[in-house]
Amino acid sequence: MSNPFEEIEDRDGIRLSWNVWPSSKAEANKYIVPIGALYTPLKEKPDLPSLMYDPITCKPPCRAILNPYCQIDVNSKMWICPFCLQRNQFPPQYREMTTNNLPAELLGAYTTIEYVLTRPASLPPIFLYVVDTCLEEDDLKALKESITQSLSLLPPQALVGLITFGTMTYVHELENNECPKSVVFRGNKEYTSTQIQSFLGLSASSNMRQQNPGKGVAPVNNRFFMPVQQCEFTISNIIEQLQRDPWPVKPEHRPLRCTGAALAVASGLLETYFQNSGARIMLFSGGPCTEGPGMVVGPELREPIRSHNDLVKESDKHYKKAIKFYNGLAKRAAEKGQVIDIFAGCLDQIGLQEMKNLVNDTGGYMILSDSFTTAIFKQSFIRILSKDSQGFLNMGFNAVLEVQTSKELKICGLIGSAVSSNKKNACVSETEIGIGGTCAWKFCGITNQTTVGVYFEIANQVNQQNANRGLMQFVTSYQHSSGQYRLRVTTVSRNIVSPNSNEIISAFDQEAAAVLISRIAIFKADIDNGPDVMKWLDRILIRLCQKVANYMKDDPESFVLPNSFSIYPQFMFHLRRSQFLQVFNNSPDETAYYRHVIFGEDTNNSLIMIQPTLMSYSFSEPPTPVLLDSVSMKPDVILLLDTYFHILIWHGETIAAWRKEGYQDQPGYENFKNLLETPKMDAQEILSERLLIPRYIDCDQGGSQARFLLSKLNPSQTHMTSGGYGTTAPNAQTILTDDVSLQIFMSHLKKLTVSRAS
Amino acid sequence: MQSEKKNPSNQYCCSTLNAVPQNNALLQKSKIPFGLVFAPYKNIGPDEPEVPVVSPEVIVRCKICRAYINPFVTFVDQGTRWKCNICHVVNDLPAFYSWDSKTRQAVDRNTIPELNSSVIEFVATQEYTRGPPQPVVIMFVMDVSFQSIQSGMVATAARTILSTLDSIPNYDNRTKIGFITYDSTLHFYNLNSNLNEPQMLVVSDLEDIFIPAPDDLLVNLSESRSVIESFLNKLGNMHKSTQNVNSALPAALTAANKIIGQIGGKIAIFQSNIPNCGKNALKKREDPSLYNTSKESTLLQPADNWYKEFALDCSRKQICIDTFIFSGQYTDIATLSTLPRFTGGSIYFYPGFDASRAEDANKFSSELSRFLSKKIGLEAVLRIRSTRGVSVKACYGNFFLMASDLVQLPNVNPDNCYALEASIDKDLTSEPYICFQGAILHTSNNGERRIRVFTNIIPVTNNLTEVFANADPRAIAAFTAKKAVERTITDKLEDARNLIINTCIDIMGAYKQAFTSSGQASQLLIIENLALLPVLTQALLKNIAFRRGNIPSDIRSFALSVLYGSPIENALSYIYSKLYAIHILDANTGLPIPNTSQVYMPPRINLSMQRMTQDGIYLLDNSQHIIIWLSRGSNPELVNALFQKPYEAIASGKTTLPTPNNDYATRINNIIEFIRKDRLISYNNSPYVYIVKEDDNTRGWFISHMVEDKLDSELSYPQFLSHLREQVIL
Ligand SMILES: [Zn+2]
Ligand SMILES: [Zn+2]
Repeated sequence: MSNPFEEIEDRDGIRLSWNVWPSSKAEANKYIVPIGALYTPLKEKPDLPSLMYDPITCKPPCRAILNPYCQIDVNSKMWICPFCLQRNQFPPQYREMTTNNLPAELLGAYTTIEYVLTRPASLPPIFLYVVDTCLEEDDLKALKESITQSLSLLPPQALVGLITFGTMTYVHELENNECPKSVVFRGNKEYTSTQIQSFLGLSASSNMRQQNPGKGVAPVNNRFFMPVQQCEFTISNIIEQLQRDPWPVKPEHRPLRCTGAALAVASGLLETYFQNSGARIMLFSGGPCTEGPGMVVGPELREPIRSHNDLVKESDKHYKKAIKFYNGLAKRAAEKGQVIDIFAGCLDQIGLQEMKNLVNDTGGYMILSDSFTTAIFKQSFIRILSKDSQGFLNMGFNAVLEVQTSKELKICGLIGSAVSSNKKNACVSETEIGIGGTCAWKFCGITNQTTVGVYFEIANQVNQQNANRGLMQFVTSYQHSSGQYRLRVTTVSRNIVSPNSNEIISAFDQEAAAVLISRIAIFKADIDNGPDVMKWLDRILIRLCQKVANYMKDDPESFVLPNSFSIYPQFMFHLRRSQFLQVFNNSPDETAYYRHVIFGEDTNNSLIMIQPTLMSYSFSEPPTPVLLDSVSMKPDVILLLDTYFHILIWHGETIAAWRKEGYQDQPGYENFKNLLETPKMDAQEILSERLLIPRYIDCDQGGSQARFLLSKLNPSQTHMTSGGYGTTAPNAQTILTDDVSLQIFMSHLKKLTVSRAS
Repeated sequence: MQSEKKNPSNQYCCSTLNAVPQNNALLQKSKIPFGLVFAPYKNIGPDEPEVPVVSPEVIVRCKICRAYINPFVTFVDQGTRWKCNICHVVNDLPAFYSWDSKTRQAVDRNTIPELNSSVIEFVATQEYTRGPPQPVVIMFVMDVSFQSIQSGMVATAARTILSTLDSIPNYDNRTKIGFITYDSTLHFYNLNSNLNEPQMLVVSDLEDIFIPAPDDLLVNLSESRSVIESFLNKLGNMHKSTQNVNSALPAALTAANKIIGQIGGKIAIFQSNIPNCGKNALKKREDPSLYNTSKESTLLQPADNWYKEFALDCSRKQICIDTFIFSGQYTDIATLSTLPRFTGGSIYFYPGFDASRAEDANKFSSELSRFLSKKIGLEAVLRIRSTRGVSVKACYGNFFLMASDLVQLPNVNPDNCYALEASIDKDLTSEPYICFQGAILHTSNNGERRIRVFTNIIPVTNNLTEVFANADPRAIAAFTAKKAVERTITDKLEDARNLIINTCIDIMGAYKQAFTSSGQASQLLIIENLALLPVLTQALLKNIAFRRGNIPSDIRSFALSVLYGSPIENALSYIYSKLYAIHILDANTGLPIPNTSQVYMPPRINLSMQRMTQDGIYLLDNSQHIIIWLSRGSNPELVNALFQKPYEAIASGKTTLPTPNNDYATRINNIIEFIRKDRLISYNNSPYVYIVKEDDNTRGWFISHMVEDKLDSELSYPQFLSHLREQVIL
């Protein structure tokens, strides 16, 4: 199945819900699904040209960047900006340009291009480890090993810092001192950044050596941050000697853990030395904050940590305060260009729900694992520090994505791990979707996978004469992990046609659209958890179908969707059932985690999360994708489910029995052995490609772990639908659920679509 | 009174009156202050007997007043009962004082220590212990600001502590130590025994002091020995590049208190700087324009009440604070000295300390080493009992007075001496003698709870002549000195001076009024045994603590602490220095006295330049320093024998004498070493040797010790006597 949209995605890292646009705002609104782009600004492209000069920009206030859609006049060395139609003179270095000898940025093939700016390089990336020591011995040991290993993966000149915390916060000096030395902060106190500065010996009144705090020119060497090549021995030694938090834990109490205070100190420490210099705070936490600012749950074990129910009832006494604290911290970190990653190693919740904006606002990573001894943590953490094909860390810092549109379009907003740069201009619509009211967004951290959803609308006044196409330009400036400042430019052009043209419907990318709508739904759900989102989803699906489907009024049987919409309702069906919106089977932390992940992934990965893939392996045919439906659970097959978060191998009853008998180890049963191995190998392949390691489950029909599979399958055979005489369909699994099946969902959709049509 | 039973020696206890007036009227008539100066836990010299330690089956005490049985009780009813010499109640005597059930023999009471020795130590039985006894706990609190590092104080302290670790009392391996260093921040050290090296924890929040780790900041000396050694080896270099000139002593103290507050112990402060940072920082308030004015006293009084409150809190928690001060600059000793004063501690002063001078390093090192290794009593209370009719009116000394007769002593500091003032409340006609009994319940260094008891009896008289004839001018001087110190701190310097001189004038006046005939009207007479009173009075007035003149207030405050805390011998030497001619030696002088640790000392000379010759070499011991005076005409051979260089080549100032290579130098060195050793044991002080050449500008300092001569505005002794006469007669 070749998908034309994927080709564009490969070239420009972008997929649009609509690839041909209607020329009227009013008509466009009837298409319900907004014009949106899933854009991967730093998508890794082997053939991406890198220009070693600064880009040519249009006159202010437009400042659009020269691109293949510009009209150029090689004789007069003029170019016309397609966004504002102003004429611009080429600078002298373009003198030699001819029609056959155009600079790369004007070539049609390079609608996406990267400039390496002439600005002097920034500091090398900065890594501040913030390590929880309220851990069990084996957890702490594993974490220490991972951290030590990670040091060897950092570029030698990268600056590192170390904070440990438990009841209190310890900021470790990395200078070669007579003995290990750390500055201690109370865990139960909220320090101002001035206090943090002064306590670290950096205030003006102190007679310490002057360090020029916050003066922009940050010293590369100081007591708390040093190039890893210089301090690897010291820091490894400190980590090796690291003990569990020494403060006693009262019986029937949780350890006192001052995560909030430690993060505030971490942020304040970075702020003191470096501003907008590309820094990550990597928090490794083994439990909830129970002390001081940001407390998520009290230290007494008899007080349970809040659930979704408590949040709905607003009955948790810490929640509002904690949210306020962490959101404030997130805002400050984002302003100063600090990325915050959270690595949770805990069977229970650690308060990700409260802390999520630290990560969401700064473009960090969230890794949720049961323990630091797990592969999920160990491998995911190491992968975050993986290098790109050129040997650079796959991380950009302090990115700003700025979007420019031709006047036919306006920008409604962005949904992704970013904050608004609060830049409002004529391109910005009054309608807000996600983070709106701006044409620019800041990503403290960005990777070549970071994918955002950007939403647009057709402008009120579309000039019919010129409106045969509209343009978007995505300009991403960022600090490359080499220290270079770079600028990535993607310019997109799409045709604008009369509102009822069939071209519009056939150029609908239902996959991108499903993901874009999912992002909106999840964004809404995050603000007001509740049934409203479901109603909204149903309503817009019905209205979309009313607009695009062919049917006769009040005749559900006549309902036919165009090909380009054929599976869109199915995505919506699975989205409604997904953990993104059905939160009550999960903890608030898990919900926060799932939602964070989907906000950063591209179309394909997002689709897997919304509608997991299911492969079936049997003797009778080669591995085949099968319906995500209970009918696929047959006794003589092996199923491989990929939900993105889980990889599950399920063995049908017969296969499971054989495996239990150990046939695979007997001569003459090589086929069976192969059959068992194949899905495992496929699973390994998936595991190896994912940055975040999914949870791996191996289970049999009827085993308790099989519930993960059951929860994802379409309940086509529930106890509601089973045979009227108490019999069940042979060879098929019955799902004990009250959920409606896809079939019922579709029949409702058809009915509602046709009946409500006016 | 049993003649064979003796009062404690003078060094344990001495009374201003060794015959007590029968009633208050008689006492008032004598004008002699009734005081007792006592040092019950005094350091024991090498030639002195140890205090007997006994553990009788029962510690026998009076059922009414709770006095301890002592050598001076009387046995009645054929020796089966004893009569209390405090309250006169007759108590039963346990059988073990009459019949030894093991040996089945009659007990010879003359062999029972508690019935014969007026200073005794009982091992406390169960009823005296509450919880496990306190271990030895030392929290070192050390200034590591720029001056401390530059002067070499920190390195010297670290080296000394390291080399003294084996000598710190550590019975049953229970001793705990810990360290806090500080500049504008506090540094704690995790000394967990599992660590290879210490970990430094820095706390900067001086407004809200907290302890950065739950344990391991105070560790068992034996268990953590290797990491403690590692720490002390590193400490000298740890802060070597510091530029920090701030010193947050109050914060460091607060932290130390939090660490050891649960168990009590000792905080040893090493301070090079005025505490100039954080809460309760002190200001440089020294103001020479206030010298010799009525406002001078403000400089001698604490600037900030926090220090006293902190000290009282420590006292309640059984924490003693000792203070080592190293600054050449104003440090506000007036305020800092309140810390040891209310906690039973001591103050050690090394003005302008510079470890690159061997003399400075050696002095500090010897004193610190002795400080750490000497025996001390812990978590103590002292109760004074006195015969009914005599009561304790006031107490003076480094402690916290909980009641007029009950004193809290976190440490029983053997270097400290206390005084009490007694009053006679009723007629003592029926009493042949009165009795003072002091009992210190404390924890000894071996972890035992013990009670040291001293009992002192004084006969009662109705004869004023006897009162005068048995008055002790040395005790009066030492007692008056302590009282005057108190007066200086609470009132004014001038009040203290008046107290000193009026004490003398009143006594002389009283004596004159009572005993002189009209023919002797113009003469100043005093009974023989009080002959020293005027000269001691004058010496006291000329002491740097009280004399008029431009005395920096730190110097004066330190002198006040010396007078206040010193044992009586030391205090008297400090008031009236010991001066010896060392250019003419008797046959034995400077040679060891056989079978003792002492040497034959030269005879003492009165403190007047007139007693000194133009060619003399003199040695002056003022209890703090040893000063060698070289006259311009000193015998060159002796000078050369002693210094191995000629007079001209000798520099004034602190010195270390060359190793003796001749008899003369050996004897002089013996004398100096004896003084030093004795002083180190008795007062934890290792005096410097200073050389003062007659034609040098330091001569004024030497001359200021010549209290019988005129000095600035202070009178010569003859002038003083005539002043006295005027006061007494007119
Ligand atoms: Zn333009
Ligand atoms: Zn009695």
